[in-house]
Amino acid sequence: MPINNNILTLKEIDFSYNHQHKTLSNINFNVARGEFWGIIGPNGSGKTTLLKIISGILKPNKGRVFFQNQDLNNLSRGEIAKLISLVPQDTWVSFNFKVKEIVFMGRLPYIARWKGETLEDYRISKEAMEKTQSLPLAEKNIFHISGGERQRVFLAKALAQTPKLLLLDEFASHLDLNYQYEMLKLLKNALKDEGLTIISVFHDLNLASISSHRLLLLKEGKIEKVGIPEEVLTSENLQRVYGMKPILIKHPKSQVPQILL
Amino acid sequence: MDWKNYMKYFTNNQNLKVNMGYTSWRKKIRVIFFLGILGILGTSLLCLNFGVVSIQPRVIFSILSHRSAESTNYLIIWQLRIPRIIMAILAGIALSTVGAAFQGILRNPLADPYILGVSAGAALGACIGIALEYISGYYLTFYLPLFSFLGAIFSLFLVYKSSKVSLSEGSSGLLLGGVAITFLFSALITILLAFSKSELHSMLFWLMGDLSTASWNKISIIVLPVLLGCFLIFFSSLDLNALALGEEEALHLGVNTSKLRVRIFITGSLIIASVVSFTGIIGFVGLIIPHITRLLVGPDHRIMLPASAFLGAIFLILCDTLARFIIAPTEIPIGAITASIGAPLFIYLLKRGYQ
Amino acid sequence: MFTFKKYIFLFTLTIFLVFYSSHLFSLAAQIDYPLIVADDTGISVTIESEPQRIISAAPNNTEILFALGLGDKVVGVTNYDNYPEEVNLIEKIGEMSPLNLEKIVALKPDLILTFAIFQLKEIERLRELGFKVLDIEPVTLEDTLERMKMIARVCGIPKQGEIIVGGLLQRVEIIKTKVAQIDSSRRPKIFIGGTHEIIYTPGANTLFDELISLAGGENIARVFSGWIKINPELVAEKAPDIIIVPVGVMNPGDQSRIKEDISKRPGWSNIPAIKNQKIFIVNEDLFYRPGPRLVDGLEKLYEIFYQ
Repeated sequence: MPINNNILTLKEIDFSYNHQHKTLSNINFNVARGEFWGIIGPNGSGKTTLLKIISGILKPNKGRVFFQNQDLNNLSRGEIAKLISLVPQDTWVSFNFKVKEIVFMGRLPYIARWKGETLEDYRISKEAMEKTQSLPLAEKNIFHISGGERQRVFLAKALAQTPKLLLLDEFASHLDLNYQYEMLKLLKNALKDEGLTIISVFHDLNLASISSHRLLLLKEGKIEKVGIPEEVLTSENLQRVYGMKPILIKHPKSQVPQILL
Repeated sequence: MDWKNYMKYFTNNQNLKVNMGYTSWRKKIRVIFFLGILGILGTSLLCLNFGVVSIQPRVIFSILSHRSAESTNYLIIWQLRIPRIIMAILAGIALSTVGAAFQGILRNPLADPYILGVSAGAALGACIGIALEYISGYYLTFYLPLFSFLGAIFSLFLVYKSSKVSLSEGSSGLLLGGVAITFLFSALITILLAFSKSELHSMLFWLMGDLSTASWNKISIIVLPVLLGCFLIFFSSLDLNALALGEEEALHLGVNTSKLRVRIFITGSLIIASVVSFTGIIGFVGLIIPHITRLLVGPDHRIMLPASAFLGAIFLILCDTLARFIIAPTEIPIGAITASIGAPLFIYLLKRGYQ
Repeated sequence: MFTFKKYIFLFTLTIFLVFYSSHLFSLAAQIDYPLIVADDTGISVTIESEPQRIISAAPNNTEILFALGLGDKVVGVTNYDNYPEEVNLIEKIGEMSPLNLEKIVALKPDLILTFAIFQLKEIERLRELGFKVLDIEPVTLEDTLERMKMIARVCGIPKQGEIIVGGLLQRVEIIKTKVAQIDSSRRPKIFIGGTHEIIYTPGANTLFDELISLAGGENIARVFSGWIKINPELVAEKAPDIIIVPVGVMNPGDQSRIKEDISKRPGWSNIPAIKNQKIFIVNEDLFYRPGPRLVDGLEKLYEIFYQ
């Protein structure tokens, strides 16, 4: 049974998109409140799928997801939206909304359709933009800003949702170095100031290592290793999962493992 | 929040500039409604002056205030021109709103109100009705709208069923179903047309849109479905906004996307089915007006949907006036006018690097 | 100088005029209004009084009205009306479909004659607005003449109608008698072809076919019903003796080239009609319009077949 300190528990999760191949099998882990988790693994190992299982938009074939001791299955989409939010990898929008309108959409789970929004909703949206340093972009059109700026806007939107758990899907993969660094800083601040828990899928192992309290290494839909970066990023684990032995060094500042090819 | 508390809260937060440029949606809507109603009234009054028979504005004014007794002009204004204008307003509202809503749920800028197969069903129903008139010699004209409405409902049903069969997630199921049914029904209509030489003309006219036999009776039948249906769609504005970020994003924002799709699809199709049953298929309005509206007021559906409705109404009033006035007494089918204006306009928008 | 003789003369003249005009009056008022008539939509229409302003929504109705001598009562015709020449002076109401309701209403008609089922929408609307609409859709020659009599009755001139229709019937009888004398084996095979690439020809149950038969010809498309699209090979197989080509609005074509074009049709070179150059161009209006000129058409056909 899940321990009270844990905000998220996955218990014996199995999932497959079609009935020939299991995308995820026997996933079990607990995430404590306030932790920053990184999900890593090769392409096709099921990282994004796992994220979708956590956010509830995919239902596992077997097993259950518990959020704050509640089975995710028993919550409606609207209720889940107030607890969990997600920053997607592809920030594609079909109409040219203004940045502030996009951020405001994060308040949707809280707005009663017939009553409409309140001043509070505007205030929270504005704060979210301040925290992500995207306030200067407020009046711009979403089509006219860069990828990195878009990422910040979508983070603001996810924060405007005032979630307890924030999910990110490879937030850094399209970003330049400086934007990567900025996003990381923003996330760490959000973790501290909001009391958030964050789970992010990483493609870049080094970034995962310096960001996360804990890492979850996936291989072909199964958990290969869970633990702190030093436990997970070992040459044996990496050899087993990626099929090659990289050079591992310690980060000069934070002492966490970093990989050199 | 009552007025006093509101003022206190507002002044307290003034320094923080709470609104930061978030003009209240409600304020914008009031402006849109005001301008929209003004626009419709103005255009209607203007277009009332045009027609085969030239009637002086002064005469029109006295007829409108029921002061004139001259019966022929009275008949023309009250029984012919005004019903046509009102029908154009209702059709314009319906087509633009549903077109915009469908573009929203399908996330496809090429969507129009007919993309989900409703028009093909309505057309087939009407053509079958017309063909039956000939075969049985029966006076079925009165029931023609019923035939067309039933046809529309039937195609709606088929599309809905086939979208469930489709394995693709999200709106592509509906889209594919709609396209497939449209093709199927269009083929059936073509076969029907091939077999009917004499009634070809009236079928064709129905297929190109026709407001010429608008009457108060017909208006009373469609006014409720159109206005009620469009109001229901307006209520889904926030959800449609969310859907613009993508299916999954909308789900993450708590929107029940499949229920939303069904709601919009069924409401929209019913609105269109009612209108098309009486006016035939008027094209381009539902496609073009939402794009123009988006350029003018932005993509926020809360403002864009009502604005589209008003713009669509005004556009159709003007098109209908052109249709019955340009080469009077010959009438051009209104679908030809909307296409002639709509197509170049659409191309222009594309060239402009439409967003 | 007002003499006694002049006084008598005036008196006699007045009496004479009074009697004569009352006679005219009685000749005219042979119909009791209001009159209830059922038209081809199956609806009974009440004609309150003698129509003075008639709108004809189809060219054949116009021809009927003029043939009955009611031409001066016609106030509106369609764009397609072209016979007789007087119609050019009458106000045009536009297309046959859709009918321009505003124009019709503005002309203040007390009777509207429509023709085709594709005007049903407008007929219903006009009746809703309180206008008297009669839909005339004759299918055979006999029907046409009957309708003519009905229109005459509706317009208050039943006797005149009888006389005129009687005259037409007589002409038909003459043709019938002549044809009866001709042996059926001598009857020429006829093909009606249009000027289009795709040939539509009238089969049985069409006016055209009826006229052909009455005129003593054998329509090769008789086996079919209604207007059909015919396969050119079938035409070659049936080997018609005479080809009739109707020309007009429905069949546009350059008259000088029609005979040539038809002769040159692939596979038709052995057709007797082409070998003997028996290709005749006719005015389609005489055969398409259910009206008095059908009889003209009939006579024309007889002439082509047997002279």
